[in-house]
Amino acid sequence: MDQVHVEAPAFSARAASVEREFYSDFPLVLNYVARLIDDIDGAAAITCAAFRQVADGLRQRPSEQGLRRADVFRAATELSRSVLRPRRWFRRQRAAQVNLDDFPQPEARRALRRDTVQRALTALPFDARAMILLRDFVKLSYDELADVVDVAPRKLVHGLDRSRAELGEIYDYIKF
Amino acid sequence: MTTSSFDRNRCTRISPSAVLDDRLDGKDLEWARDHLRRCEACRERVEDFREMLLRVGRLPSAVVGSAAMDQAFALSIPDRLRSQGGTRSFEVAPATPAPSVPAPYDLPPAVRPEVSSIPDLLTELEREIFRDEPLQDHPMPLSPVPEPLYPALTDRPEAIEPVEAADQAEPPKATGPEPAEPAAPETLSGPLREVHVDSHRQVDFTDWDREPEPEPAPALALEASPAPIPVPTTSNAVFDQESALRIDDESEVAVAAPPRKPDTAMRIAVGLGAAACVLLAAVLYEGGLLKTSNKVSSTAATVAHSVHPSTTARASVSPSASPAASVSASTAPVLYTLGNGVTGGTMFRIRPGTAVAGYTRLVFDMHGGGLPTMIITRPDDLHVVVTFKDTNVTGAPVNGISSYHVTAVEPGVQQGPDGSITVDLARPVRVTAFTLAATGGYAWRLVVDLHTS
Repeated sequence: MDQVHVEAPAFSARAASVEREFYSDFPLVLNYVARLIDDIDGAAAITCAAFRQVADGLRQRPSEQGLRRADVFRAATELSRSVLRPRRWFRRQRAAQVNLDDFPQPEARRALRRDTVQRALTALPFDARAMILLRDFVKLSYDELADVVDVAPRKLVHGLDRSRAELGEIYDYIKF
Repeated sequence: MTTSSFDRNRCTRISPSAVLDDRLDGKDLEWARDHLRRCEACRERVEDFREMLLRVGRLPSAVVGSAAMDQAFALSIPDRLRSQGGTRSFEVAPATPAPSVPAPYDLPPAVRPEVSSIPDLLTELEREIFRDEPLQDHPMPLSPVPEPLYPALTDRPEAIEPVEAADQAEPPKATGPEPAEPAAPETLSGPLREVHVDSHRQVDFTDWDREPEPEPAPALALEASPAPIPVPTTSNAVFDQESALRIDDESEVAVAAPPRKPDTAMRIAVGLGAAACVLLAAVLYEGGLLKTSNKVSSTAATVAHSVHPSTTARASVSPSASPAASVSASTAPVLYTLGNGVTGGTMFRIRPGTAVAGYTRLVFDMHGGGLPTMIITRPDDLHVVVTFKDTNVTGAPVNGISSYHVTAVEPGVQQGPDGSITVDLARPVRVTAFTLAATGGYAWRLVVDLHTS
């Protein structure tokens, strides 16, 4: 085994910030993605990829900026959308999979089971589902939500109205 | 005032989301309060929305263990953004098993700073509404604002206790090939750290695509982390994003991804094949070889019967040409024989049309004391002949009758006492027919439906 001496990198403030933001947001993003795509097994890969995407984009950001939560959720949403998009036979098939050690454990599977609300959410269109989950489940603020779903904040109220009304109708229809 | 208008049957002047998310202020808020006080429909909608909002907010969350988070951190965050060689600089509470999910009604509503004022607003409204009726309570009492349900997931970094400053001041630790658990810290005397690199390690990155290594910034030249992150075997998710799959692109060892030549070659081959198919189809079409069998059979049938080769010719056909049709009709297979045998009637009108796209309906109206004997035959796939026994059919106008199934209806041909109507079809059809008695303003009718076969 070769041994290489490399000068130790300075403990940067950005690294600490990224670390803290990752450890605080990762479970939230993971649960959001699992609810969004209704698949707990695929959520870890998408979440890791979303964090990776945002972390890679930090090169173009000012040095003091860490992982913005809205950026992570936006990346996770777009990745989830692409996962749910129907495949075409000529598209390049890439099987990227992530297997975390103890996830999903049986308790997590139980927590993310398909209850009535989850089934109603699954029946919603993707954008409506993302909007409801981001606002009511993740509890993003309106500004963050507007940043994630790329809708003007003043139009969010109407979009949320429609999405929640549709969710309520579906829920009332399938709850019995 | 934010309004909503997707529900036509109820008052929609209040946007429930604006009320629940506390997006109103000033006059709008006053107006909303006033309206909610008076409008029961809006109050019900706001309550419904609030229940749905709380249901989504109460969805349980899965707990991610610290080992899984460490692994995800190693996979997600590039080395240059990791502090202290990839080891965590603070402690994470060990993963506790997810709490058993209680029934929704046992759970307190979710907490959100903006939403926390909703119960106050609604409670205040209810208080005002039911102030005059102290014995009457709202059927659905509002629940108080509780503590957060899942603090481990909703807490921000403040909840994570940082490592002491003395730990951060320590020199970086040497890390070997990263095991599943973080390596034990090793104190070094100098500012340099020793990193083990296994140059003979075989990296299996068959499932991970990489982009070209970006130009390293000068400041990053010293950050090259030689410790490769072990990429776990993958088994549970499939997706196709370019950037999503670039794991550990800083690691030069890992850049050796297998070439994808077979994939590219296959795609090129498929593209060339498709182009060749298109070219061949174009050549065949230009050469007239690509004709549908229907058109060929249509031409053949027209030639065989020599009755009406074209629309123009059809319009100028005289009754003298009808014997061919009647002869062919007489030898053609009989589809239906309908009617009561009444004689001396007149078929005076043909009404086309249907409200359903799947078939074309032709209604033959008849004067007389009843229904004559009617024989429906199909001499070939593109003609249907209706023969009316002892009935005059020459007076029925047939111009302008055409549809998806019907090209035209030929003028009625009288063969002695019998009259026949020939329907030219645009495509093979399935024929159904029935009769209707004279009722009200309607005469005796024969109804022929031409279905897409």
